[in-house]
Amino acid sequence: MTDRVFAVVGLFSSAQALMDAIPKVRARKLGTVEAYTPYPIHGIEDALGLRRSPLGGMVMVAGVLGAATALFFQWWMSAVDYPIVVGGKALFSWQAFVPIMFELTVLFATFTAGLGMLLLLNRLPFFSHPVLASKAIAGITRDKFALAIEADGGALDVDAASAALRAAGAADLEVLPVAVAQPPALNELSRSVMGIAISCLVAGYVMYWLIKLFPVLPPMVHMQEQPRLDVYKASELFKDGHGMQLPVAGTVARGYLPYLIESPEQAAALVNPLPRTSEVLQKGRTVWNNRCGVCHGALGNGVPTLTAAYGAKPANLQAQTFREYPDGKIYHVIMVGKNAMPSYAADLTDDERWAVVHYLRVLQRAQNAKDEDLK
Amino acid sequence: MSRSPLVSANVFAGMAALGAVGVVASYLAVPPERFWANWLVWFLFVLTIGVGCLFIVALGHLVAARWSIPIRRAPERVSGLVLLALPMGLIALLSLPVLYPWTRPEALLKPAIAGKAPWLNVPFFSIRVLICFALWLFAYNLFTRGSVRQDQTKDPAFSVRARGFAPAFMIIFAFSITLVAFDWISSLEPEWYSDIFGVYLFAGTFLSGLASSALAVLYLKDRGRLPDVRNDHLYSLGGFMFAFTVFWSYIGFAQYMLMWYGNMPEEIFWYKQRIEGPWLNVILLLAAIHFFVPFFALVPKDRKNDPRNLRWVAMLMLTAHFLDLYWLVLPVVGASPPLSWPELSFALCFVGLAVLWVRRSMAMGADMPIGDPLLHEGLEFRA
Amino acid sequence: MASEAVSLPAALRAPVLVEGPVTLGGLDDQVLQYPARKPPLAWYIAFAITASILTLGVSLIGYTFYMGIGVWGNNRPVFWAFDIINFVFWVGIGHAGTLISAILFLFRARWRNAIARFAEAMTIFAVMCAGLFPLIHVGRPWLAFWLFPYPNQRALWTNFRSPLLWDVFAVSTYFSVSLMFWYLGLVPDLASLRDRTTSKVRRFLYTVLSLGWRGSATHWQHYEKAYLLLAGLATGLVLSVHSVVSFDFAVSLVPGWHMTIFPPYFVTGAIFAGFAMVVIVLVVVRETMDLKNLITTYHLDVMNKVILAMACLMGYAYVMEGFTAWYSMDEYLHHIFIQYISGTYGWSGWLTISCNVLIPQLLWFRWFRQRYLGMIFVSIAVTVGMWFERFVIIVVSLHQDYLPSSWHIYKPTLVDFGILLGSFGLFFTLVLLFARVLPVIATTEVKTILPGAQPAHGGGHHD
Repeated sequence: MTDRVFAVVGLFSSAQALMDAIPKVRARKLGTVEAYTPYPIHGIEDALGLRRSPLGGMVMVAGVLGAATALFFQWWMSAVDYPIVVGGKALFSWQAFVPIMFELTVLFATFTAGLGMLLLLNRLPFFSHPVLASKAIAGITRDKFALAIEADGGALDVDAASAALRAAGAADLEVLPVAVAQPPALNELSRSVMGIAISCLVAGYVMYWLIKLFPVLPPMVHMQEQPRLDVYKASELFKDGHGMQLPVAGTVARGYLPYLIESPEQAAALVNPLPRTSEVLQKGRTVWNNRCGVCHGALGNGVPTLTAAYGAKPANLQAQTFREYPDGKIYHVIMVGKNAMPSYAADLTDDERWAVVHYLRVLQRAQNAKDEDLK
Repeated sequence: MSRSPLVSANVFAGMAALGAVGVVASYLAVPPERFWANWLVWFLFVLTIGVGCLFIVALGHLVAARWSIPIRRAPERVSGLVLLALPMGLIALLSLPVLYPWTRPEALLKPAIAGKAPWLNVPFFSIRVLICFALWLFAYNLFTRGSVRQDQTKDPAFSVRARGFAPAFMIIFAFSITLVAFDWISSLEPEWYSDIFGVYLFAGTFLSGLASSALAVLYLKDRGRLPDVRNDHLYSLGGFMFAFTVFWSYIGFAQYMLMWYGNMPEEIFWYKQRIEGPWLNVILLLAAIHFFVPFFALVPKDRKNDPRNLRWVAMLMLTAHFLDLYWLVLPVVGASPPLSWPELSFALCFVGLAVLWVRRSMAMGADMPIGDPLLHEGLEFRA
Repeated sequence: MASEAVSLPAALRAPVLVEGPVTLGGLDDQVLQYPARKPPLAWYIAFAITASILTLGVSLIGYTFYMGIGVWGNNRPVFWAFDIINFVFWVGIGHAGTLISAILFLFRARWRNAIARFAEAMTIFAVMCAGLFPLIHVGRPWLAFWLFPYPNQRALWTNFRSPLLWDVFAVSTYFSVSLMFWYLGLVPDLASLRDRTTSKVRRFLYTVLSLGWRGSATHWQHYEKAYLLLAGLATGLVLSVHSVVSFDFAVSLVPGWHMTIFPPYFVTGAIFAGFAMVVIVLVVVRETMDLKNLITTYHLDVMNKVILAMACLMGYAYVMEGFTAWYSMDEYLHHIFIQYISGTYGWSGWLTISCNVLIPQLLWFRWFRQRYLGMIFVSIAVTVGMWFERFVIIVVSLHQDYLPSSWHIYKPTLVDFGILLGSFGLFFTLVLLFARVLPVIATTEVKTILPGAQPAHGGGHHD
């Protein structure tokens, strides 16, 4: 009497007995009639006058939303934001998007069905319902079928309700006091959502720092530590620990040709392979000005620009001796050097060497020109 | 209680007669490829409905389903279309030299076709066709005629025999429907091959069997001849129609997507013919009426057992199955979907004939298999 | 009714799904006793074995992470081997559970009620085993999250045109949906456990997990609707998930892989392998947990019939593959099919055909369908055969594709075998834990098929 009553519950021992009782109890119009059973009973929704579940429509909408979401994000990611042609297919390759569209349809629909049913429609989890604290609940989840007359807003006439249930065939009766807590109201739900959001943020922050740490742990770091030769670094691959090693004995430079001629007399037999064309002579002049003129003079007469300070006396190539030198001997001097002149073999390509020989001949002729040359 | 039929049988007889005139005229007037392609499509349509209904009956026996027993007489009767398909098929054999390249010596110059000659040659093809028909007629006799006989004898031995034969029929059905797909349809373009094609035709076959059975059941219910068949039974039918709409779409899409992805010349030309140019409209229409419309029309639970909803969806499904066969076959004839008086004549003729045939079969046996010992369990079925 | 049952031939009589006098309360006592009591010694021994195998597997996975994929047998051109074989194998096994709980629910097959719970649990465990392999088979598994399309600083998105990414979505969806479906089914049973238990700790745990379920008719209505919808959605997944897995192969141009029948062929194979595993596990469960009156000979018989049907469908698929390979007149396809049954790996092709098509034909005979020896023999053959089928498809097709200079034999390493064994260890460890902690039979669902469970309305019981 002092506690407000939530419901009067009567227990039946078979589904048939329960179904027979429902119309009798409902006819008395003493309050909302609810049934509690260990498994779903066919036809009980109509017997109790329950409204149809809206879950089907909700799930359909969620499914269509899933399909649309999948189509949209795949289109945007593949055709707009990061358009790369893969496999020669069009950017909006809808055929390839269908499987994921289907999966997301099912995913959205499933979560709406499951969570929608639990959270929205059944308002579960909820642990403070009066039935959970009753003695009847042990029977309800086992083998008893309960019919409850619940107070819908106003006070419940306990005696009348008990009489009605007994008349309908209920074995045990129990009066349930009102619940202390209410089903989770919307702002409680939003508080839980906030809590989840905050946990996600904290977790995200922690993850961020873990992710920074993670790549420097083995084996993640194995990709950076590779047993390979790095430039200018020590290396375990060689006995002396040096990464930079000398080339193996006998290594030659690219374009190297062996020069086996030992004496100027042998060299005299060599023949200039290049034709006396304008390009060749131009090349020869370039080489002469860059390499030879500094010592032998621009005109080849041994009047150089440099050697005053240098102290050596370069040959005057306009002299009779050198005018009578065969091409091969001049080439030989370029290749092996003579007296103070070093070998220029490394500085010049073979073409350049022969070209400068031609040019020297031009210089010699120019300084010793005859009248016929002008014609 | 029976009322006069909504549409008189005479209307269909008139349709059939008018159509037949048009069919004969088109034999004389239009190019032979077009004539025979139309004949082939209608033959396959009638055949697949008949064999699809046989499959439904056999499936019910195989899994010992109870719910399907009260409505089993409908597919048993409609499976009689296999008897109509037999002469159509024999006449269709005349189309081999016209439609099928491998019958012509110049095609055998291509190694891809010449290599298949041990399989694709007129004698072996014809033998396969005849064997399939023999097996289907055997099954028809066992299932349908046996069931009708059981109405009188009330002998449970038939049910045992049907259950025993059902697995064998499934094997026969699997290979025969695959042969129909490979021989009649895919060998129209012998360079092409797809090993899911048998499954694809099976999906359409099963669906058209379901749709025509549903129409037959609803026809009888309308005339009060199936008073004990409730929405629970219709719900199961509607559920299967829904599920196999999805299945057909899945198989059709899988074949298309795999060939699109591989983009191999020897496969993709078949699709290019069927989805480019004017044929694009056909495939879009097919996707709409074979998948989208039936899917959304059947997805809500209460739409699956509503007789009016089921009726128009079933008719749409049959139309869609026809369009499927049309889309499979006709592209070999022209770059543009032919739709004119020849096609309409064929439609009038064979729709008329088929409906008359099925109407006649409605007199076969009782409206429910009253001899079946498990009928009462089927009537008690709750969805 | 009784006289009709006597006059009906045995072949036509309705099956007895629950043997003996079982009351609603008695059912709870029989099934729900196990989460409450200590398991027998046999359970501990079994657990020790499976846990050690699992530990072996985990160590070898750790070893692989540390040393790299080189410790496996994968080479050029057999880039996919045990890793993908195991993935496909386990995903396939999961499909039986979903078929039993979802598809058979839609068909109103009442025999599923006693076995659905265990089958669904096996699905979840199998999918967990399956999901392991794509994660560990990448060169840098710690970067596996790159598979998900999230906004990133690499300024790129995942490749939606790749079936490997479709797999990511399909398998994760399958896992989430199966978990949701299984958990929802558990809620009423957890409520039963909550109301039976005497331990305070367990009562708290079951209260939280059962979400305060009270069996109200209003709740049941929404629950039934959700269950029906989930069953329909899960059915779609049975078809789609293994089809997406088959797309991994079928969209490529590797000879023997680009066959359009792969999607339904793989789905059939999945159901086939899954049912075999369910049969093996249920035989052990019904014996050790004394549940023979709930998981009856009829259940085993009908599951074996499903296995037989699937074996025939597999035979159809093999015939179609072989015929189409010849019909295609493609020399590469011809070569591969000859390699399937001759050559270095020819033995595996024959093993596959024998185990998947020939041996299951024994199930035509009732002895094999209803005797443990017969059905365990066939189920083990099927499990082995289905593993080898994936071996044949993957390894044989890859080892000799288009360019002969690239051909190379594949040899698995001990690490490969160890990880495969470890996955079985994971699966059976989870199965043992499940049997210990949660009700292995959905008592709520079985209660609905006990005689007298549903009220008569307009003439008869619910079929």
